[in-house]
Amino acid sequence: MSRLLTKPRFTGARVTRMEDDRLLKGQGRYLDDITVPGMLEIAFVRSNRSAAKLVEVDVEAARNLPGVIAVLTAEDCPYVLHDEKYQVDQSVLAKDEVRFVGEPIVAIVAENRYIAEDATELVRVQYDALPPVLTAKDALGDTRRVHSQRPNVFEHWEQVTDGFEDAFNAAPHRAQATFVTHRQTGVPMETRGCAAMVDPASGRLTVYVSHQSVHQFRTDLIKVMNLDEHQVRVVVPEVGGAFGIKAMFYTEYIVVTHAAKTLGRPVKWIGDRTESLLADCHARDNIHEVEVAFDDDGVICAVRDNVIGDTGAYPILGFPGAVGEAGWATGHLTGPYKIPHVSITVDCVFSNKTPVGAYRGVGGPVGAQVQEGYIDLVARKLGKDPIEVRRVNLIQKDQFPFVSATGNTYDPGSYAESMEEALRLIGYDTFRDEQVEARKQGRYLGIGVCVFVEPSAGVSSEAGSIPYEAVTLRLEPSGKITASTGLGPSGQGHETTLAQLIADELSVDVGDIVVLHGDTDSAPFGGGTGGSRSATIGGGAALKAAREMRGKLAKIAAHLLEASEEDIEFQDGQAHVAGVPSRGHSIAQLARIAYTDVSKLPDDMQPGLEVVSRYRPPMSVTYSNGTHAVKVEVDVQTGLVKILDYVAVNDCGVLINPMIVEGQIHGGVAQGIGSTFLEELRYDDAGQLTTTSLAEYLLPAMTDVPRMRIEHLVTPSGNDGGFKGMGEGSLIAGPPSLCSAVSNALEPFGVFVTEIPILPQHIIAWTKDKVAVEA
Amino acid sequence: MNELTTVEKVTITLRVNGEERAVSVEPRWLLSDVLRHELGLVGTHVSCEQGVCGSCTVLMDGQPTRSCLQFAIQAAGSDIVTIEGVTHGEGLTPLQRAFAEHHALQCGFCTPGMVLTAQALLDKDPNPDEESIREALSGNICRCTGYQSIVDAVMAAARTTQSRVEED
Ligand code: FES
Ligand code: FES
Repeated sequence: MSRLLTKPRFTGARVTRMEDDRLLKGQGRYLDDITVPGMLEIAFVRSNRSAAKLVEVDVEAARNLPGVIAVLTAEDCPYVLHDEKYQVDQSVLAKDEVRFVGEPIVAIVAENRYIAEDATELVRVQYDALPPVLTAKDALGDTRRVHSQRPNVFEHWEQVTDGFEDAFNAAPHRAQATFVTHRQTGVPMETRGCAAMVDPASGRLTVYVSHQSVHQFRTDLIKVMNLDEHQVRVVVPEVGGAFGIKAMFYTEYIVVTHAAKTLGRPVKWIGDRTESLLADCHARDNIHEVEVAFDDDGVICAVRDNVIGDTGAYPILGFPGAVGEAGWATGHLTGPYKIPHVSITVDCVFSNKTPVGAYRGVGGPVGAQVQEGYIDLVARKLGKDPIEVRRVNLIQKDQFPFVSATGNTYDPGSYAESMEEALRLIGYDTFRDEQVEARKQGRYLGIGVCVFVEPSAGVSSEAGSIPYEAVTLRLEPSGKITASTGLGPSGQGHETTLAQLIADELSVDVGDIVVLHGDTDSAPFGGGTGGSRSATIGGGAALKAAREMRGKLAKIAAHLLEASEEDIEFQDGQAHVAGVPSRGHSIAQLARIAYTDVSKLPDDMQPGLEVVSRYRPPMSVTYSNGTHAVKVEVDVQTGLVKILDYVAVNDCGVLINPMIVEGQIHGGVAQGIGSTFLEELRYDDAGQLTTTSLAEYLLPAMTDVPRMRIEHLVTPSGNDGGFKGMGEGSLIAGPPSLCSAVSNALEPFGVFVTEIPILPQHIIAWTKDKVAVEA
Repeated sequence: MNELTTVEKVTITLRVNGEERAVSVEPRWLLSDVLRHELGLVGTHVSCEQGVCGSCTVLMDGQPTRSCLQFAIQAAGSDIVTIEGVTHGEGLTPLQRAFAEHHALQCGFCTPGMVLTAQALLDKDPNPDEESIREALSGNICRCTGYQSIVDAVMAAARTTQSRVEED
């Protein structure tokens, strides 16, 4: 086999993205930019009750409005999402009963969106109110059943290590706290949308959708609608952000497809912002009751966690959020710490709220908040520095591979090293003095740290629960390369990073490669993007495909040069005999021969140069890690928190493009700041969502996110290329480090943060009328 | 019983990207919708339609303006510039190039609004400091980048424009 002797030119370099040119010119085509002649638009009438029987749905007036083409109710669009495991049916348009505010009841198909929306106001829905199930207590107590045929608790599990009780009871100290994360959601800047049409040329059904996984979407669609796979083409155009919420399958997609099929006309639905806050999957909404047992030095021997996860009204197709959030959070309850015993009890419940699904990090941010929370709690109880408690509990380098008490095997990482490096960067040594000085002046500074582990490329992540990814490569007769992947990028730069890997393997320029994605007609079957699997598994597939292609090229070159394949080297776009650059052929020449001068090929070789490679990583999951450290100042008068310094030390194994990795970290930290200080989906006592615009559901703006400093450590994974995922770590580590910093700043007031978001009014209430006591 | 009356369309002339475009609109149609769906200028993106996010920003007489908060008929007579209008031919402006070089975009959805708002700032103040950049762009939400790279891009663009001015 040919060898790669030269240093990689592109892998590891800050290659400017190939995606950028079109996006910067406004030439990127997103879902709402798809228009074809005769296209109709859909608007939905959604439930404005959280729990009610539908007495009557009168659509007569809507039907008669000029410009309205069709009005669909459950009778006209009789599809049901049936959840086999949890025994729940969800009618794609509500039938008989509504279970959350925002649930679609009627779809109006009209000449344009203005008319469709007019018509929604003419629909009269008569409800018979039911008492909504809104709190975890109501849900657990089965005060009323969200689905009459089954209890509200739909998933329950327990995990207790042998000897837990003895260890827990024997410990000299115990402490307890309840950690709560309120409802939040991904809020990609592009709302969800879908367009469907029967392709006039082929007669096949084409569905455009803003989604993270073309193949998963097609599989779900054909299953529910009983269609033939090969007659359905799914196309994902440019995606304007996804963050997990676009990995789910939503009922609107079936309604749109059904309308297009039955009307024989193209139909499009693009959600508005209110619809997306109501009906995109929500996330988090967890309560963790935690007890921790430890010794005088802060060494923790056992943690107990009782969890309630609220999943809303239905197990959303793709990923029942409560199960995912609680599974991730408790599965990694011990985080980067060598705690030998755990006891975990989880109850996942239905309620009359929007279904919960994936949002970046899934249970990671919650789990890390719990994990760093109990560490800080131990420090607080013992009057120790929180960093000291981390030091005595962290897994050390010589302990890898490490099997956690919850049964996960961590591959090598740099947990302790990353923390020490982050502390050095943020100037931890001098901070405590600074803090004491500031307190004397009535200023409350705090420092917070989160040492995180991020399980990445888990084979059954929210998108693509298949343990492999595929890349096809076609070396065109001109020598240029067309690659294609089943991944589903939404801004992560896959076109560039995959091209970087392929370019190095074949010694060509990245500019000679185009990476296609988002079309089931051209993309090889793959899982899509989610759970930070793209670089690790998709990158592995790109490497494998490129190596296979190199093998073919080497074979042709060896034949032409009368050399042995082993002696063929690739350099600067040419294959030559090792050490004799003058005896070689350019890749372009080899490609031309492979297609058009095939008599020159070895006898046993097929003409053409195409490969399709599937990569199954040897490890079912790999762990990236890192530490975030943040310095804040809390203003107890205004309740505002100012971030004074933020550092992230990140270890995601081999970096394909550091610029892109840093962009992911910046973005994740920004979302972490939103999670910690701004974002909350609030319901009133009747189950009305009261945060239905971006003026109420606040996102971080440019003035809220500080400059941050990033450093990379590299502990390669055992997978091809050595990559680890890193799309979620920064949102996992952001909220806990910020919470920890606020707790630390407000320690003189006895404040210990256990709930996010932390709002100004909370801080004022915690500190008002209280005298700060020297810690 | 239909309480809604059919709305009459009116023909207006919009001056967009230096060109007069006659377009027939309902008085209630938003400028963002008319630019996107009637004139095909889909580089203007709609994210919230609530005036909060800045994705739909266009320049009206040089001022960054939310096209989702304007009716198209209100824009008649103004000079409108969309992202398609600031991009010259095949090339990128120094500001757009700086966005690419500093990784100031990921999904690209907020990007046209960011570029136009930043361009308006640079036109007014060719050498803004970090704080004024953050202030000027604080009405544009980006969910992907965390902003730092956008700030860096605007600062870098200011530097290139400055040095070019000095060379002249
Ligand atoms: S779309 Fe106009 S401000 Fe958000
Ligand atoms: S780049 Fe995605 S919203 Fe800004």
